[in-house]
Amino acid sequence: MTVVDLDDRDAQDTVVGRPRYVLDQHIEGELHAKIVRSPHPHARLDGVDPTRALATPGVVAVLTGADVSGDASINATFGRQRSDQPILAVGTLRYAGEPVALVVAESIEAAEAGREGVGIECRALPHVVDAEAAGAPDAPQLHAAWAGNGCGEWKLRYGDPEQGWREADRVFEGTYWSPPASHVPMEPHVCLAAWEDGRLSVWTSTQAPHRVRDDLAAVFRLAPEAVRVQTRDLGGAFGAKGQTTIEPMAAVAARRLGRPIRLELDRDEVFLTIGKHAASVRLATGVATDGRLLVRRVQVVYNAGAYALTSPLAAGQGLLRAPGPYRIPHVEAHVLARYTNTVPSGPFRGAMTSQLAFAYESQMDEIASSLGIDPVALRRRNLLKDGDQYATGEHLHQLHFGELLEDAARAVEWGTPCAPAPPGRVRGKGVAVMIKTTLTPSRSVARVELAADGSITVRSSSVEMGQGSRAALTRIVAQALGVQEARVSVPHPDTDRTPFDSSTSSSRTTSSMGTACVRAVDDLRCQLTERAAAELGVPAESLAHRDGAIGPQGGGARITYEHLLALGDPPLVGEGLFESHGGLPAMDPLDVRGFSTVHWHQGAAAAEVEVDCETGRVTVLRCHGSAYAGRVVNAHRVRQQNQGSVVFALGQTLMEELVYDEGRVVNANLAEYMIPSIQDVPELTSTAIESSDLEAEPHGVGEMALPAVAPAVANAVFHASGARIRCLPLTPERVLRCLRENARADGGSGG
Amino acid sequence: MLGPTVVAVAEMAPAPPGLDWQQTQLQLNHRRLTVTAPVTETLSRTLRCRVGLTSVRETCGVGVCGTCTVLLDGSAASSCLALTAQLAGVAVTTAEGLLGPDGEPGPVQRAFIRRGAYQCGFCIPAMTLAVHAALYVRRHRDREAVVDELSGNLCRCGSYPQIREVLMELLADRGGEAADGATTGGR
Amino acid sequence: MLETCALLRSNRDARLIAGGTAVVLMLRQRLIDPSLLIGLRRVPGLDSITAASQWLSIGAAVTLQQVADSDRVRALAPSLAAACQEVGNVRVRNRATLGGNLAEADYASDPPAVLASLGAVVCTAAPEGGGRRIPVSDLITDYYTTQLTSDEVVLRVEVPLIDGRRSAYVKYRSRSSEDRPCVGVAASLVPDPQGWVASLEVVVGAVTSTPQRMTTATEGVVGARHDEARAGAVAAAVAAAIHPIADGRGSAWYRTQVIEVMVRRALAMVVA
Repeated sequence: MTVVDLDDRDAQDTVVGRPRYVLDQHIEGELHAKIVRSPHPHARLDGVDPTRALATPGVVAVLTGADVSGDASINATFGRQRSDQPILAVGTLRYAGEPVALVVAESIEAAEAGREGVGIECRALPHVVDAEAAGAPDAPQLHAAWAGNGCGEWKLRYGDPEQGWREADRVFEGTYWSPPASHVPMEPHVCLAAWEDGRLSVWTSTQAPHRVRDDLAAVFRLAPEAVRVQTRDLGGAFGAKGQTTIEPMAAVAARRLGRPIRLELDRDEVFLTIGKHAASVRLATGVATDGRLLVRRVQVVYNAGAYALTSPLAAGQGLLRAPGPYRIPHVEAHVLARYTNTVPSGPFRGAMTSQLAFAYESQMDEIASSLGIDPVALRRRNLLKDGDQYATGEHLHQLHFGELLEDAARAVEWGTPCAPAPPGRVRGKGVAVMIKTTLTPSRSVARVELAADGSITVRSSSVEMGQGSRAALTRIVAQALGVQEARVSVPHPDTDRTPFDSSTSSSRTTSSMGTACVRAVDDLRCQLTERAAAELGVPAESLAHRDGAIGPQGGGARITYEHLLALGDPPLVGEGLFESHGGLPAMDPLDVRGFSTVHWHQGAAAAEVEVDCETGRVTVLRCHGSAYAGRVVNAHRVRQQNQGSVVFALGQTLMEELVYDEGRVVNANLAEYMIPSIQDVPELTSTAIESSDLEAEPHGVGEMALPAVAPAVANAVFHASGARIRCLPLTPERVLRCLRENARADGGSGG
Repeated sequence: MLGPTVVAVAEMAPAPPGLDWQQTQLQLNHRRLTVTAPVTETLSRTLRCRVGLTSVRETCGVGVCGTCTVLLDGSAASSCLALTAQLAGVAVTTAEGLLGPDGEPGPVQRAFIRRGAYQCGFCIPAMTLAVHAALYVRRHRDREAVVDELSGNLCRCGSYPQIREVLMELLADRGGEAADGATTGGR
Repeated sequence: MLETCALLRSNRDARLIAGGTAVVLMLRQRLIDPSLLIGLRRVPGLDSITAASQWLSIGAAVTLQQVADSDRVRALAPSLAAACQEVGNVRVRNRATLGGNLAEADYASDPPAVLASLGAVVCTAAPEGGGRRIPVSDLITDYYTTQLTSDEVVLRVEVPLIDGRRSAYVKYRSRSSEDRPCVGVAASLVPDPQGWVASLEVVVGAVTSTPQRMTTATEGVVGARHDEARAGAVAAAVAAAIHPIADGRGSAWYRTQVIEVMVRRALAMVVA
């Protein structure tokens, strides 16, 4: 079976390892930079002593926060929602690992040696690691401007919750915990920065070139056009590269030293740059005895880490997703994000949603178990259906939750008992369903150029990071134009050459940028029609497009597109825009209601597990991801994304946790922060449900099944062993402790 | 305005000061190559920064992730934990070394391409070397034995299902006819 | 070898390097800063596996994968082959040597516990004929610390061969398939002519700074039938006697639970 042609140049280059990533790039005359980081989670920074570093052979300079804040032409902090993140620390160190100084040298080895020689003078302050504790009145305050370490607060109220609590026959409550975690992209953050004639050029491994451009322009108080940001394919991102991180310090150093700077993070530094929000979710659900959900209260505290990044708004995204994919007449939700002295949190695949789905889907099974209702049946009774009203007051359409649930259940043969487990082990099955919004508002612009030689170039700032966006856009444009894919090329994003895109994230590219591309093709076709009409001397309305050519509708001689351009003519350019408005920024944060997302992401997962009752170890025997994909552009890529997201989620489910001791990360390496190997992952299956409507929009699938995986596995563990674990990851120790507790509670008769 | 020139890697590794240097003659992908590097330089840094082989990556630096995999005399090894200075006369194979004589992809590479067994691609050249070593050097016949030997090559994008399909295909081919894995430098 | 020892003696901060997987890691992490690295891969006589009637001899420079693949080792000391196959990943096994593994004294490593359970002995060379025979069970004294002096070099490991011995190694990982062991248990049982227990060794690794050789817990089984009840008693005694560490792989409490389970499982393997 051949999915990709052997002659596919891009595929060959990928498999052989030819230059592809910003990591592979160098600039003539570059200097190498290495970051010196804070040893304390919270401290007063009294000074930085670069003497020994400067005496190291090969070291050219040491840049500190004092240098940056002493330069009146630079804004010393950056951050889109809150400009609270210093380019290099000044005055206060807010997390262990925060960048304090930048050592610049002629070689990487000299920079590494120099890094060892920088002294940091500071006085330790009390620190806080836990987001709940950060809200206590006597908690250490990270930012003077933000009392109570507040980093975003959102509330939603739907229906009449008091009435709901009165009406409920039973009330279920629980607190569900998701730990801090890390994206672990294989390619680290890396950037190159150079100035020429007052203009800044940056190459960086980023999901959002325009965002980086605008942030850098703000830092240097330049017009955006004075900054150029380019990227290549990313060696993985998963949300870790959606924000500006190391680019400002590299750019500052490049300008001061008048030479290009190359900054590449070591692996431990990637862990210390950005991470996933830890969260505690307090969930209470009131139900009728027949299993109908009547009322829900959700209280979430997200851990934003030391700097805001996207947390204030992202907490609101969490609020929108918190009720779950269910028809619930009364909902009250309160979501907070708080600063703590930990690695800053940022978007993470399945952003803000995995933590919520773990809570509400675990609780669904607790409800089912207590009421004696089958977990799938309970969900069927309550899942949102087309036209239902959601807790934001919106009526939702194009819903497929029912199909996703049935598909997931079928995949693990729900209703059929598990095959018998070996002695000392037990088996069980679990399902889960999830709902998510997508980035709204957003904007994607695409240009499609037709050259005289017939080649077609798509100018798009969507970033290829393994999700197949280049292949998808190639196919979308080729199909829309009726030409062979081989004629279409999609160069890398370059803010000088490719138009605006909000970012490659939130599973939005195939949909948003795909739509922009289709509109660009429409625009191009209009121009082609006009040319053909002029050339043929016929009215434009009488012409039709087919297979890369245009001719009279009834038949007759057609002209191919390239022949509408004379050799030497500039390319014809069609432009298309996708734009969505509204969403969270248009809402009152303490009374959220109204249009929240341009479409709803829907996914489900099912798992069958085996639990070793003597050790608590969980083995996932099979796992299935179901996603609603709208229109599938590339079946192979969709399957890869779907299954890949399940593999990713299994990591957070079973083994991933960023561990802090005394406010410092202790496992910032791949030997101690474990991600799944091929042996950890069972045979996977997946389904991408497509709309029957051929004109339907494609939906991204990169994050759909993902949030449902952890609760599906947790539910399977419960079904197998009776152990209900409300903390991730589902470590053997947690399971064993729970089994022992249960046995004790049963008077020693069980377990 | 084009901006600063972006150049290929091999030109760009200046001499780190203050370290003992050693000249080592490597046998790299069938070519003899003399490299001069500090005694404590890892093979991964030499290959990537001095020789310019972008197929050799380094993700973890502790021998766990596998993206730095090379073959040393046919055996899979972590180049991030090997000192170049110790490898005189050792046959070093990177993904470039799995190509055929005319630069066409070798059998393992073809299987990965046909199956589209890659997403971001960062771990894949190393993965092909690991598969090659398991199938054609250690000559495993059993898929689970091969999977066991791939467990040290991590893929964060989660392409494991497609990689399993590649193994099935290659094992089936090998059952049918003799593999031409001999195009490589592995032994 | 003489030259190697002489170099070690005259360069106090020299380091031996064989496979390099441990030394290079320490170099990269700036834990060591030797003035001289002495490569052992070309020193003759360190890389063979031989067997005489009473001993299996494995050269210090034999790689862990070679030990795991060796027909001789699989036949004569199968638990050692199995343990070496479990170490790390294939790349580590291809380079790391048995001698290096012992000298590194990593508490979370598999071979030392197994070798101790088999009564293995380390043979060393030192300047002026000062080489010794050190039982593996005495070799490791603390985290990453052995009895070896700074100018002493491991030459080979000798494993006594005992007719009828049954041995097993169980490695329990609490996180990914690539994790180091949370608990490792090596068991070695020699039956007497009636089929009862002539001697039983249980060594637990990865739970404390050094492999724990449980002589007291196994005493009561000698001369008796080896059955499930006795195995359970031994397992409970072993678990009670160890104060395990706590780390990312498990708390002390958890390790204690798992030690008992793994000892029972290892004993079941040496009986069957």
